[in-house]
Amino acid sequence: MSNNSVISVISRFLEEYASSTPNKLKVIDAYLLYVMMTGALQFLYCLLVGTFPFNSFLSGFISCVGSFILAVCLRIQINPQNKGKFLSISPERAFADFLFAHTVLHLVVINFIG
Amino acid sequence: GKNCSCAWLFWWSVLCSASQKATIPVSNDTRDLLLATVSEDSTASQIHQSVSALSALGLPLASQEVVSALKARISKEDNVLAIILALLTASRLSQQAELGDILEEIEDLAARLDDLGGVYLQFEEGLEATALFVSAAYSLSDHVDMEPPLKEDQVIQLVNSIFSKKSWDSLSEAFSVASAAASLSNNHFHVPVIVSAQGPAAVSHSHPFLRLQVTDVLCQPLSSASVLAESASAVSSKSAVLSQALFTLRDGVFELNFMASQPASGYYQFSVAIAGDSRFVANHVELKVKVSTRVAINNMDLSVVDKDQSIGPKTTRVEYPTKAKASFMADGHQNFAMTFQLVDETTGVELTPHQTFVRLHNQKTGQEVVFVAEPDSKNLYKFELDTAERKTEFDSISGTYALYLMVGDATLENPILWNVADVVLKFLDEEAPGTIQAKTLYVPKPEIPHLFREPEKKPPTAVSNTFTALVLSPFLLLLILWFKLGANISNFTLSPSTILFHIGHAATLGLMYVYWTHLNMFQTLKYLAIIGSLTFLAGNRMLAQKAVKRYKKI
Repeated sequence: MSNNSVISVISRFLEEYASSTPNKLKVIDAYLLYVMMTGALQFLYCLLVGTFPFNSFLSGFISCVGSFILAVCLRIQINPQNKGKFLSISPERAFADFLFAHTVLHLVVINFIG
Repeated sequence: GKNCSCAWLFWWSVLCSASQKATIPVSNDTRDLLLATVSEDSTASQIHQSVSALSALGLPLASQEVVSALKARISKEDNVLAIILALLTASRLSQQAELGDILEEIEDLAARLDDLGGVYLQFEEGLEATALFVSAAYSLSDHVDMEPPLKEDQVIQLVNSIFSKKSWDSLSEAFSVASAAASLSNNHFHVPVIVSAQGPAAVSHSHPFLRLQVTDVLCQPLSSASVLAESASAVSSKSAVLSQALFTLRDGVFELNFMASQPASGYYQFSVAIAGDSRFVANHVELKVKVSTRVAINNMDLSVVDKDQSIGPKTTRVEYPTKAKASFMADGHQNFAMTFQLVDETTGVELTPHQTFVRLHNQKTGQEVVFVAEPDSKNLYKFELDTAERKTEFDSISGTYALYLMVGDATLENPILWNVADVVLKFLDEEAPGTIQAKTLYVPKPEIPHLFREPEKKPPTAVSNTFTALVLSPFLLLLILWFKLGANISNFTLSPSTILFHIGHAATLGLMYVYWTHLNMFQTLKYLAIIGSLTFLAGNRMLAQKAVKRYKKI
């Protein structure tokens, strides 16, 4: 019985998501999924094979985590439903912030990747 | 001219006065020449020579003129040797002359002496100047009968400096030392006393007298002195053994029968005072005296003790210096034990000498093992040999070992090496080495090769390649998803700022790659500053245009 309810909740959620989410956000969500998968695969490698160039693993993993976080921030700021909370930040401004933060993140990641 | 003749006259007059010719005919010219030299314009050395010549020849001279000439020379020349010559000159003048200023120079000169470690006192000009200063100071002080302002410590340190050398660089240096020695042994004020023991400072029952030689610096015995041992105390226990004992003079040597006080063997600190003349300087000395004795070994008992103590020990007594007739056996079941006492031969007091060793010598192989015998609380020495415990020292080599007892100490007159007995040691045969090798201590040891840091284990290339492909695969998924969602670049405007922005953005990504491969942080930041500012400006423009477009649409 509980199984059913979990499945029904999930299917309802997916329906809602597909219908009510604007396309822009879905694009970002796809990007988020990509970043998460990349990070998970890196972690899996580390678990299976070992942490030999530990600095490289850390840098790659942190890059994924950092990108995920920045993309989530962008998504929050772009969402038209949240417009009330971000009156001073236009979507363009959000995107510019996103790019700048990514530059700094990648500077650190490349420095550490070794 | 004048210099040469002055010096010549000086030496000639010294020789004549030494040969004690009462009257020496001297011409008026000679006398005038000598008197003319006494002036401010001659050097201190010339004044000294002419004054000495005049006084040796018995000619009259004006002492006051000499004094003023000397004072002028001292202020002009002001070096140590000039002042010393002035002192020597002044000692030849009449006692009625005002020599006070010259006398003060002694104190000024003494202040110029260098103190070396609190032991030596000498001028930086050297030994000769120091020695000449001493003889000049004392001859002038004797002449005016005033004690020189030299303290006892200074006199002792001067004596140390002057007599520190055993051979001299020049005849004049040797002369100065002899002259100083003569003044120090024969002046009215200070006579340094030299105290030394005749032979080693040691007494024993066979030599009970402590003999001291008390002399002045010329090694002439001071027979008028009285030598008193104020106190004598043992160095180890600090207990006083002697107090106020007078030495007796016999054949020029002062002696004291120290053994009469029956001191135990060891070292004693003596404090000796020499009296008899108020001029004596350095007349309190500290002396370390050794009292030796003969040692006797009592109650040497050798026994073989059974380990499980089922059989009682068999004890054999051996008398020194004989050897035990039977040999003793020690193996896995039995230990060999030895006890003895060490006593003073005459008094019977127990002794604990510094060295009590038991030496086992294998006559066949030449091996030698040495142990220490320790005394217990009752001063009874014990030594026990357990073959099981000691097999490493012996290398498990069984055989007959000669046992020696070695007793020695600085205060023993008769050190002992006594072959007490033979001991047969039995070790387990399987542990004995095949050949007996001499212990090689000083051969080169095996080389230690350096171990470089081993690189970490890397996974096989196939695995890492697989995972690289796997990690890049989500990108494919992303592209598929975007395509499905309908993401496109239909809004792409071809304005310059857009193009510039995209070029700048691509350049930034390219810079990241180049940073990874070639550059360091500083260079990257430099390039990033340039590219970044361009990208920012272009991007700002582009996004602003986009925003305007969006507002227009809404």
